[in-house]
Amino acid sequence: MSRILFVVPPLAGHVLPTVALGQELAERGHDVAWVGHTEVACRLLPPELTLFPAERPGSETWLTETYERSRGLRGPAAFQFLWKDFLVPLAGRMIAGVEAAVHEFGADLLVVDQQALAGALIARKHRLPWITSATTSAELTNPFTMVPKFGEWVRAQLDELQRAQGIRSDDAALGDLRFSEHLVLAYTTESFVGMNATVPSQCVFVGPSLGKRVESGDYDWDWLDPRRQHVLVSMGTIDRENNGRFLNTVVEAVAPLAHRVQVSIAAAPGLIERSPDHVRVREFVPQLDLLKHSAAVVCHGGHNTVCESLANGLPLVVAPIRDDQPIIAEQVVASGVGRRVHFGRVRPAELREAILSVLDQPGYRAAAEQIQSSFADAGGTVTAADHVEKLL
Amino acid sequence: MSSTELTDVVGDYAAESAVLTTVRHMLVEVIGEDYALAVDIDMDTSFNRDLELESIEFVTLSAKLREHYGNTVNFAAFLGDKEVAEVAELTVGELVTYISGCVARD
Repeated sequence: MSRILFVVPPLAGHVLPTVALGQELAERGHDVAWVGHTEVACRLLPPELTLFPAERPGSETWLTETYERSRGLRGPAAFQFLWKDFLVPLAGRMIAGVEAAVHEFGADLLVVDQQALAGALIARKHRLPWITSATTSAELTNPFTMVPKFGEWVRAQLDELQRAQGIRSDDAALGDLRFSEHLVLAYTTESFVGMNATVPSQCVFVGPSLGKRVESGDYDWDWLDPRRQHVLVSMGTIDRENNGRFLNTVVEAVAPLAHRVQVSIAAAPGLIERSPDHVRVREFVPQLDLLKHSAAVVCHGGHNTVCESLANGLPLVVAPIRDDQPIIAEQVVASGVGRRVHFGRVRPAELREAILSVLDQPGYRAAAEQIQSSFADAGGTVTAADHVEKLL
Repeated sequence: MSSTELTDVVGDYAAESAVLTTVRHMLVEVIGEDYALAVDIDMDTSFNRDLELESIEFVTLSAKLREHYGNTVNFAAFLGDKEVAEVAELTVGELVTYISGCVARD
């Protein structure tokens, strides 16, 4: 039996796939543990699982300030911030914590989220086998056809990070920290990503790793009316306070549809001014359970929410905000599973039309069901665990 | 400044303002008229911060420029040469100046 350490960044969506995979590996008799930020990872990990702190106490201030500074950024400004002001500094901040966890736990293998670069650095430094957990598929495609210098800019920063952390040059030459030379787990399928993806040969498409999730918050299930269609609206955990305009547009868009839809919105308190009886607003919703009762999803194009929706065969309306979301939104459009609207500009009438088309035109649902089968065939968490075990 | 130089400057200004009108018209088509009403598209308007232009909309804009200016203006080369920080801060004015230069050379 082996000792497998998961290295995760302080981003809920990046922790979740590893929780499912870790639990599956634990059931197969391996010792598993996580190294991450307690304030984010604690509520996502079942209490019996071990979590090593990625940073010394007090890191919350840096994280809060960084999130604060990133609020409202979009497009290339958000892209620049993500790498230069968040992921690269985060690697430096986490490196001591990850190293300590590797020694204390006695890890034989690291499973490193693609954005937790400290894990890749420590694996290279100690020549430990490691696996990339690619939470989103954006890095597997080339989104920079119009701005080729963006890709070069990221690569240059990652090269510099390896040099600065004293990775021996022959180890650094093994390549980009975003891609393990041993195995890259992509929680999607080629049917959804599209065939123009430039995928490294060590990449396997396993589909979403949903496994057994700790759901937070119960729901008023009795409120759901079986004679009406349910639409789930979820705009992610990062830009919660920044979604006010869009969410109020959603409420206005669905206002005249009380006779045929009910809408659950996951939103931070205070963002939505007034909502009618057929719209429920909650800070947290049990998303995986609620999806089983839904007919469509409106979201920001976050990879997890999109794939969880498709795993339930549900069509989508996506309003990408930043980072990988525009890329995932294009995958939604190209695969025919939904419609894309402009987060900052969409008006109620256009949004209503988009929601009604994915509900009423059977093509969207049929395409979503095709992706759903591709996910089921890929095997998800179980297949991911099989691939991990091959490296042990 | 000689009178010939002055004529040149005035000529450049007129050419640039004609290009701005063309680009503004294209941008209104890309972002939609009712939204464009709320934004005053000018030389210092930022594509990212003010217009929230998304990458697919840059593709649309590129096609419109090609349609209007043909091979005279190579938007792909203009954008492809830019660093991340430059694209983040890109203004309508920079594009207008670039187009005016291409048109003047043509």
